[in-house]
Amino acid sequence: MAAEDSDAHLSALMKSAQDGDNAAYAALLRLLVPVITRIVSRQCRSGLEVDDVVQDVLLSLHSVRHTYDPSRPFMPWLASIARHRATDAQRRRGRVTRSESAVPELPETFSGDDSNKNLDGPGDAELLKRAIADLPPGQRQAVELLKLKELSLKEAASASGMTVAALKVAVHRGLKTLRERLASGSGDGNA
Amino acid sequence: MRTEDLIKNLAGEAPPVKRLPNPLPRTAIWLALSLPWVGAVVFIMGLRPDLAAQASHTRWLVEQSAALATALMAAMAAFCAGVPGRPRWEHFLPLLPLAVWIGALGQGCIATWLSYGPGGLSLTPDWQCLPGIMMVGLGPAVAMTIMILRGSPIAPTTTVALGALAAGGLAEVGLRLFHQVDASLMVLVWQAGTVVGLTLVASFFGRKILRWRIAAPNTSVMKSK
Repeated sequence: MAAEDSDAHLSALMKSAQDGDNAAYAALLRLLVPVITRIVSRQCRSGLEVDDVVQDVLLSLHSVRHTYDPSRPFMPWLASIARHRATDAQRRRGRVTRSESAVPELPETFSGDDSNKNLDGPGDAELLKRAIADLPPGQRQAVELLKLKELSLKEAASASGMTVAALKVAVHRGLKTLRERLASGSGDGNA
Repeated sequence: MRTEDLIKNLAGEAPPVKRLPNPLPRTAIWLALSLPWVGAVVFIMGLRPDLAAQASHTRWLVEQSAALATALMAAMAAFCAGVPGRPRWEHFLPLLPLAVWIGALGQGCIATWLSYGPGGLSLTPDWQCLPGIMMVGLGPAVAMTIMILRGSPIAPTTTVALGALAAGGLAEVGLRLFHQVDASLMVLVWQAGTVVGLTLVASFFGRKILRWRIAAPNTSVMKSK
């Protein structure tokens, strides 16, 4: 279809849409989607969601469809709206990117070393192993059964012959001892 | 939302719309709405007693005609600027009459200087011009605002600036029907200066006044299909 015929067809559809023909309006909007996509894609830099801008143009077009004069060409009217809304989208995007900066990893919360220790990490496995080995036998057994083997209190009680209450106390004390020894940086049982 | 859903949605809620008239009849409508206000203010303030004498001076007539033409061309340009796809040169329609108006005032300043020397170009404060222009221009400005809001915000700063120039130009024409200040330098600075100043101030609010008013899609239309 020649450009003039195409423009005349779109103009006729818009004229019908202005008169309340919803089917003509739907047909017009469907025909316009690739046209708007082309205009928006040409104008928008990467990083902008073209589909979002296309939908924004459709909504804008809808809100000012009464400004189209059927005696004038349709495409300049459409292109003007599409370019304007694409520029607006770029401006909005620019405002957002100006206040954001891409970082390769999460930034430190504070600059001090202490605040940036990776407390959730594995830590020094050898140190932990030595600290557990240096625990009193009851505490060591409770920690091994409940924390390393992840047995339930009932299973640990039957395996160790200790009562549930004694296991709870022993694991509590064992963890406290481990925490103190690891904090002091030694696993030699001097604490 | 998918684009196809949006299209169904928009097409489902698209009642018939009243087309925007062309800029020329819109300018006529704006003038018809504005003139009664300007006339009422001039009537309340009282016509200047030397109006008939002034009307016989070519320079006064040229200045008034150019100010009126600036107002009308600016109004037409403002209405053109609110329609997407119209040529950009239409935004410059008021430049020629504005140049004639400012040029006539400038020529008056030069003629006074040649006749009376630098002493003839005295500039004294005229604090009635700003409130006078604002008072006369209020009606045209309100009418213009209502009318440009019917257009699209495709060039908001330009549209509002042109609208303000139209209202200010018409106000200037009305002001000189009751305000007896005709020295070219005084008119240039206090009257034309006020009109240009108000135009610049208004242009800063262009994007605030003219925005895209996009209603959220009615999703119930889509769901019912």
